[in-house]
Amino acid sequence: MNYNWDWGILFRDPYAGWILAGLGWTLALSLLAWTIAFSLGTLLGIFRTSSSALLRGIGTVYVELFRNIPLLVQLFLWYFVFPELLPDEAGRWVKRDMPYPAFTTAFIAIGLYTASRVCEQVRSGIEAVGVGQRQAGRAIGMTEPQVFRHVLLPNAFRIVIPPLTSEFLTIFKNSSLALTIGVVELTAMTRQIEEYTFQGFEAFTAATIVYSTVTFTVMLLMRVVERRTALPGTLSAAKA
Amino acid sequence: MTDLDFSVIGANADLLWDGMQMTLLLTVLGIVGGILLGTVLAMLRIARVPVLAQVAALYVNFFRSLPLILVIFWLFFLVPLILGRPVGAFSSVLVAFVMFEAAYYSEIIRAGINSVRPGQMAAARAIGMSYGQSMREVVLPQAFRAMTPILLTQAIVLFQDTALVYVVGLRDFLVSAEIVANRDQRLVEMFLFVALVYFVMSFAASCGVRILQRRLAT
Amino acid sequence: MIALSGVDKWYTRQFQVLKDCSLSIDKGEVVVVCGPSGSGKSTLIKTVNGLEPIDGGEIRVGDTLVSDRKTDLDALRSRIGMVFQNFELFPHRTTLQNVTMGQIKVLKRSEDEAVAKAEALLERVELSAHANKYPSQLSGGQQQRVAIARALAMDPMAMLFDEPTSALDPEMINEVLDVMVQLAREGMTMMVVTHEMGFARTVADRVVFMDEGRIIEDAPTATFFEAQGSERAQLFLSKILSH
Repeated sequence: MNYNWDWGILFRDPYAGWILAGLGWTLALSLLAWTIAFSLGTLLGIFRTSSSALLRGIGTVYVELFRNIPLLVQLFLWYFVFPELLPDEAGRWVKRDMPYPAFTTAFIAIGLYTASRVCEQVRSGIEAVGVGQRQAGRAIGMTEPQVFRHVLLPNAFRIVIPPLTSEFLTIFKNSSLALTIGVVELTAMTRQIEEYTFQGFEAFTAATIVYSTVTFTVMLLMRVVERRTALPGTLSAAKA
Repeated sequence: MTDLDFSVIGANADLLWDGMQMTLLLTVLGIVGGILLGTVLAMLRIARVPVLAQVAALYVNFFRSLPLILVIFWLFFLVPLILGRPVGAFSSVLVAFVMFEAAYYSEIIRAGINSVRPGQMAAARAIGMSYGQSMREVVLPQAFRAMTPILLTQAIVLFQDTALVYVVGLRDFLVSAEIVANRDQRLVEMFLFVALVYFVMSFAASCGVRILQRRLAT
Repeated sequence: MIALSGVDKWYTRQFQVLKDCSLSIDKGEVVVVCGPSGSGKSTLIKTVNGLEPIDGGEIRVGDTLVSDRKTDLDALRSRIGMVFQNFELFPHRTTLQNVTMGQIKVLKRSEDEAVAKAEALLERVELSAHANKYPSQLSGGQQQRVAIARALAMDPMAMLFDEPTSALDPEMINEVLDVMVQLAREGMTMMVVTHEMGFARTVADRVVFMDEGRIIEDAPTATFFEAQGSERAQLFLSKILSH
């Protein structure tokens, strides 16, 4: 294998700076997308389990729509097609005057996509809590929103901490798709390093280390959160 | 809102169909390779030999922590380097897909194997079948039967993942559509078309899986 | 034919499931092993064909030392039949295929030979009509009889039964016991873990009582049921026999 190793390249300017900048964009993308995904996803999850057929319908349509189109295609739709479909003024603003158009489009697109997945997790969490709990809440006179707030959601969230963590990590990985519309996130940066210096091995290893470390750390944190928020007696039952 | 002209789709049907064939080819090969390698990984993970189990676990956890785009870049860069000669995008991408998807398939298959009653393995060993025979004849068939809906769902995910070959310019359905879009300045029409096609195919497939699930449950 | 001497087994550092168990079964003998749940009797019978490894002592079946690492356990198991509490028929195969699978895959018999033998055995357990059905279409008693046929198809030199009727509804217990009694009368060497004392009285040559991992009593059937024996055995007997 013909290859000139040069691990120092990762620590030299400007490459070190590139990697850090890329990481910064990746983190920003992920956190903003997660905010959308989590809030919208929870809302949709509630919709899908509500007693209103209309709300359930909205939830179902959203999920099916966003789940059956590849994220990359959704990204392109938002970035290339959406501005064209807006009335002229708005379209022009989105294409030119909006700050960081690619970045904004990316985190919104990824957020909306992931919201459909979070919706499903929250829905299964609520369903796992059970109809009985719901009825018990109504039986003491709580309204449906109260039942969700005081009975269903607190328990549902505890149940879905692992899958939700996994969705966050999925966002973290999917942030790499933003490179296709020009966002210079981590993977894009390392590709750039590879193209400039041909030190692909070193460059991609840097990205690899970052992604795997973040995943590992987040999973560890998740286990801590799970343990701290678990109701007495449930964790051991879950482990059995 | 610009004037939309969808005739550009019909005019380029051949190109688009070629792209779709590439997408489907990648999907099928990815599924087959992913399930084969995934089965090997799943069996290694439950092996009694700790080294094998640990290596397999490492592989699975590693690939599941990385974005597919990065894996594609890695293989695109590595494969020609290892072989010592330039290699087409297709081969690199295919290897990337199989290695990546196998990690996900192995988790599904492992869950499937664990869902088979342990008594089945005992009963097979009790008549004198070897471990390999017992796996092949008794455990794996039952595991796969149990996991078919989930395996198919993962196949649909894989089908959508193939769009990512965009980053190395392999001419799949999306890239072909983009070529037309850029050449004829018809981005809106083409991307809407692409979205529609993916939607219809994925939705139909997942409906099919749901029907299958209902049939299997009876 | 089957000889266990000083068998010890630990599940964890603290929990010893088998304590110094010694037992021997001659050719043609039928030995019933009974005892309260948790006494280790299921574990004991599974050590005989190596499904459960042991930590101390020795087990011999015929000329083979089961506990030896070099022993070809697969070959040994093809010569010993085992019937499980939960039947464990292969659900993805028909009744007939369940009985032929071992013959073809392990004994390498031809398909014709295997099918002929399977049909004969199904006839013997009175289930010929169900040859092409799947296990889920059979009742528990029927499944267990197929399981016995599956084991017999291998022409075993001995048969091990691990609580064969414990998972059956009462009305189906007898159809399985009848097959086992018949087998015993034909001279099969049998080790049977069971609570069915009626069976023991009918065909067992000896009864072994286990408690907390130890063999407390090992006596010829008549002696076991009539004589004073150990207190624990008598207590156990009285509890089972009263219902």
